[in-house]
Amino acid sequence: MKTIVRSGLKALALGALLMSSTGLAQAEVKELRMIEAGGPSGESIEVGYIKPFTEKTGIKVVRESPAGLGKLRAMVEAKNVTSALNELSSAEYEQAKALDLLEELDWEAINPDPIYDEAKQDKGLGWQYYSTILAWRDDAKPLNGWKDLWDVENFPGKRALPDYPAYILPMALIADGVEPKDLYPLDLDRAFKKLEELKDHVAVWWQAGAQPPQLLKDNEVQYAVAWSGRVTDEPGINYTFNEGQLDLTFFGVPKGIDPEQKAAAMKLLHEVTVAKNQAAAANVVSYTGPSTELDPLLPQDRLDKFPTASKNKAVQFMMDPKWWYDHADEVEQRWQEFKLGL
Amino acid sequence: MSDIVSETVPPQKRPFSMPQGLGQLIPAAVFLLLLFNLPILMMLGWSIGPEGDAFKHYAALAKGSVYMKVLGNTMYIAVLTTLACCVLGYPLAYWMWRLSPRGQMIALGLVVLTFWISILVRTYAWIVVLGNDGIVNRTLKYLGLTENSVAFLYNQVGVIIGTTNVLLPFLVLPLFAAMLKLDKRVLQAAESMGASPSTIFFRIFFPLTIPALAAGAILVFILTLGFFITPAILGGGRVPMIANMLDTLVNRMPRWELAAAISTALLVFTLVFYAAYQWVEKKSRIQ
Repeated sequence: MKTIVRSGLKALALGALLMSSTGLAQAEVKELRMIEAGGPSGESIEVGYIKPFTEKTGIKVVRESPAGLGKLRAMVEAKNVTSALNELSSAEYEQAKALDLLEELDWEAINPDPIYDEAKQDKGLGWQYYSTILAWRDDAKPLNGWKDLWDVENFPGKRALPDYPAYILPMALIADGVEPKDLYPLDLDRAFKKLEELKDHVAVWWQAGAQPPQLLKDNEVQYAVAWSGRVTDEPGINYTFNEGQLDLTFFGVPKGIDPEQKAAAMKLLHEVTVAKNQAAAANVVSYTGPSTELDPLLPQDRLDKFPTASKNKAVQFMMDPKWWYDHADEVEQRWQEFKLGL
Repeated sequence: MSDIVSETVPPQKRPFSMPQGLGQLIPAAVFLLLLFNLPILMMLGWSIGPEGDAFKHYAALAKGSVYMKVLGNTMYIAVLTTLACCVLGYPLAYWMWRLSPRGQMIALGLVVLTFWISILVRTYAWIVVLGNDGIVNRTLKYLGLTENSVAFLYNQVGVIIGTTNVLLPFLVLPLFAAMLKLDKRVLQAAESMGASPSTIFFRIFFPLTIPALAAGAILVFILTLGFFITPAILGGGRVPMIANMLDTLVNRMPRWELAAAISTALLVFTLVFYAAYQWVEKKSRIQ
């Protein structure tokens, strides 16, 4: 009897201890901070992933934008990591790995639902597909590929192109007759030469994703190269995914983060892999998550707006972040040089 | 003429003494030292090294001619903006000076009013006015004066329109203040001796306001060097300026060492111009 009581007491004490320790752990991580790109994409994180995460864990998530490698580097080098998750473009992810700015992800803790392999990396979770595509005003003659964008005789009008080499140089090569599968290693000389042909018809080289839809609506330009989520839902703007460049954006955890914070971040990353949550996020902005089971959950009448809808994925090409990382300096110098000659 | 000035405005004589309240300055000095000077020194530190090759990044800057070209382009835009501000600002200040005190208040209010509107909104508004499908171009097309849109924006002209629009008050306000301080009796004396209005303006009024004009011009020049939003929006991304390039190097690449070297070079340029500003400004006060 005595022993039963004693062991019962022991169990109680252990239980109390366990409870207090889990209580303590919860008390420690009350808030998680993340840096993301902002805009409608940030809203989609809130609706799709943060909401279910906070409901389950009680942890509040504070979003901050815009993202950038500079912020990540500053945080890690100052040994003052204030955000648990950082959004990175695929090329930035390569760069961040090379600079040793990221923690290994704990995939066991993330316990992901089925997602595409390319999204499952040692130090990053590819969370959002987006495309760089052709868009035009409804009253302009429809285009069907990069050759048409360069064909100013048959498709007259001003153009708005990205002020980012990685989002336009591959397109220039395709317009010049290179097959998408043969793009890499990229022939920079040929790409810049092709771009020279078009430069007089380019009104604006844009930096912010919000610019092309606005420029199209204001009739400042008739054709634009734009990020898909910014144009597919805009009235008055038409688009095609044909020959679009498909890319994946990552979440990474800054090196030197507090372990409790990291553990909480892994739980948030789990929510990111859930197909149902991705569908909710895709409702806010027409970008899609990495789930392999997403298509049936998306609104079927809007399926043609999503970058990874199988019909769209089939006609696009993937960008090669490794190549862009390896040639970052050379490309940037040549890009500035090119723009000085405009 | 200088005799009259020195008689009517006796030079102030201040006996030299230890500045009072030096102790009260310490908090502000420490604040600036820690939060402003120290980071600048750290930036300088980044630009130097690695060991054995201290000026590696400066060499890269000098060799990678594209960065120097962008710096040169920025200076060029700044010079043009300064000229535009002087040409527009001087007549404006002069016109304001000749108004009645009530008119001066209203005109001054209108100039200051521009500070109330966000620079982003003001910059974007130019697209509505001067864009390819803006008011001006639509009117020109309607009148049959042009068939294709006139490219006011998305080039150097667009950037200069934007920078001038934002910076004009920085020239007009000090210039106007200097004009108000002018001793009107000097002008009256000239008039009473039979000088024509144009003689009075060109031989007395204008020379007396040159120091204030020069000081305002240098201020505008320095401020243009750091412009970011205007070239991004009104330049259509085709007018590379140093702030936008630094943004790329700091946030996107991130090549902080090179960015630090460029920033240091820019800082040195700016300090030289600031010294010139101080010198001119001091001279204008003595007069």
